[in-house]
Amino acid sequence: MVMSVPFRRLLTLALLLVTAFCALGYRLVDLQVLRHEELRDLAKNNTHRKINFEPKRGEIRDVRGNLLATSVFVKTVCADPTLLGAHAPAVARAIAPLLEVNESELLARLQPRLRTNELGVLVTNRYVVLKRKVKVETWQSIVDTMEDLKLPVDEKALTKAERGFYRNLRTKAIFPDVVDDQLRIYPNESLAAHVLGYVGTGEREVDGEKVIETTGIEGIERVLNAKLGGVRGWRMTETDRARRELVAYREQEIQAKDGLNVVLTIDAGIQHIVETELAEAMKKHTPISASAIVVRPRTGEILAMATLPTFNPNDPGASQEAHRRNRIITDLSEPGSTFKIVVVSGALNERLVTLDDRFDCERGNFYYAGKLLRDHHAYGVLSVEEIITFSSNIGSAKIAFKMGEQGLYDYVKAFGFGERTGIPLTGEVRGIVHPVKNWNKLSISRIPMGHEIASTPLQMVMAMSAIANKGKLMRPMMVDRLEDSQGHAVVKYQPQMVRQAVSEAAAREMVTALKTVVSDKGTAAKAMLDYYTVAGKTGTAQKPPYAPGMYFSSFIGFFPADNPELCISVVLDEPKNGYYGGTTAAPFFHGIAERSASYLNLRPEKPVPDQQFTTTTNQKSKSGLLAARRH
Amino acid sequence: MARNRKNEAAGVRFGPAIKAVLLCLFIATAAIGFVWQKSQIGALGKEIKERELKLGELRRQNDLRSRQLALMCSPPTIDARVRELQLGLVPMQPGQIVRMVELPYDGVQVTMERPVASAVRGGANNP
Repeated sequence: MVMSVPFRRLLTLALLLVTAFCALGYRLVDLQVLRHEELRDLAKNNTHRKINFEPKRGEIRDVRGNLLATSVFVKTVCADPTLLGAHAPAVARAIAPLLEVNESELLARLQPRLRTNELGVLVTNRYVVLKRKVKVETWQSIVDTMEDLKLPVDEKALTKAERGFYRNLRTKAIFPDVVDDQLRIYPNESLAAHVLGYVGTGEREVDGEKVIETTGIEGIERVLNAKLGGVRGWRMTETDRARRELVAYREQEIQAKDGLNVVLTIDAGIQHIVETELAEAMKKHTPISASAIVVRPRTGEILAMATLPTFNPNDPGASQEAHRRNRIITDLSEPGSTFKIVVVSGALNERLVTLDDRFDCERGNFYYAGKLLRDHHAYGVLSVEEIITFSSNIGSAKIAFKMGEQGLYDYVKAFGFGERTGIPLTGEVRGIVHPVKNWNKLSISRIPMGHEIASTPLQMVMAMSAIANKGKLMRPMMVDRLEDSQGHAVVKYQPQMVRQAVSEAAAREMVTALKTVVSDKGTAAKAMLDYYTVAGKTGTAQKPPYAPGMYFSSFIGFFPADNPELCISVVLDEPKNGYYGGTTAAPFFHGIAERSASYLNLRPEKPVPDQQFTTTTNQKSKSGLLAARRH
Repeated sequence: MARNRKNEAAGVRFGPAIKAVLLCLFIATAAIGFVWQKSQIGALGKEIKERELKLGELRRQNDLRSRQLALMCSPPTIDARVRELQLGLVPMQPGQIVRMVELPYDGVQVTMERPVASAVRGGANNP
């Protein structure tokens, strides 16, 4: 059969159409079925975005709400060298002052570099970090500078493509990283630096992406890092060609949960008083270090803790490592005569002695186990109270003989020596308390005067606080509560008693003895206060290798003696211009105590002369509101 | 003779025409509505984004001011400022403090006690 020409043409056309449709159908099947997975991922990568939300690190505040540490979001400024062309030097010159980096160094970073990637393809770097932790205000200045950047070309005379290049140079060549970084700020600089600690920056991988993370390195920042850190959030969304977010296509959104705010027991006002007094001590006695702690004996709350030399946590790298160490919990020393409170209160508790019992102090020289034990004065017969008043080594050794080695050891342990106090700070050491089996014959005569034993200043102040607190040894409290970002309390910490070290009666008798130390006849007359009775003990211990001039001088006292509000310890390591605790540390106890009492508005115990309400010219001090009122 | 076109097969049939017009109108309205809705979604999305950015900026400004306030209220700053301005402020003296003493009779009676020394000397009730 012969087909007509029109029919053949029709058939050919039909065949062509069928072939075309088959080809299209195959393409459709190829795209939608065979390459479905691959193309779906490709399409998703082009449009879908995961935006990470950084949680704001919690703030640290003092007990009155004063801000001690906070965080601000900052930018990581990056560059795409491929978009700069030959204008890299002009860009470097313009933004180097804003970034506070060297211009030539910046220019070197803005140069495109070629490298072969893992697939063997030659690629150029399109992501160069220029500077981290740039404040938002600085970033805004960079944006403005780039917009107004003067380049040696007439952009109006350029082609459309060339104008596009310059537009990209101004708007896209310098850009911020998509994930905001954080900068930790300590507004009071070195105030309470050893308590707060400082943070560092680390890189961590989250879901295959590298994220910059702020982590506590020392102090409260480290101990409560998990609480301060918060929880990261994210958003799954889509973007258009220009990578602008299409809000309507948001899929999943989990808001970041900011870190909890930490409220410390520290009082910034008292901390400032302590630090200014210690600064004076450093000036006057030039010790290696000066430390002080202020504790509320009833609860164990630490109101101030300071060590000088100190550091600025905003820039911890600028200080020496030794200055960053919290000596109050990390440094051990023989406590010296302040340790006599342990042996005497132990003996009083066991009813082995009373305050009126008398001991022969051998005119200052006492041979025991073939070695000479000395007092700094040739005391004769002293009562137990006077042994404390005059700080007799021989007297306290004789009291220890009555207790026996095991008895003495038990009380040393009962007051918390040889174990960590449990303060929520890193680096605390246990101290050294040898077991009785390792004692030599001299130990029982040396330990009562604070030798052959090593403790931290914190252990010593907590032991003294136990005497002030009716014999109850408290755990030091540093954190009062944790709050959410709206200020609602999430966790409230309560005072914890460790143990009843001695009975209330023994503690009361010990207070009576300690009151005589801070009197005209005692070793700490310079610690006396005008309106409050003070109880306390001086300490002057020689430091290894026991060379002349190497002393550890201290004074620990509390007031009002019969209803203590504050227990204060001042420790000077190798003071010059005097070395007795009563002459070097006690005056600074006086300064801290008097100013703190005024600041806390403590009710005076002693009669107060009437004073005018208006400040007279004579009363005006040049040294400021929180300054010391010296008499 | 003239023919009535209405009754003829070739006459204009309004029913289907109206239906077609209505259908077209419906489709057109639906299409316009769809586009308008999409445009509204886009515009609102843009507005949401702008407001989110504004909120972020306001939060940042709020943080900045909170920080400034905290710094101005911090004891070291106040102390330094007092020294700098030489205001002559000193810590209050115990004798300058007026204490309120609640007496245990006639309900809650509050008296003002000054100076403090008299209360201490006379052994007045502590609050």
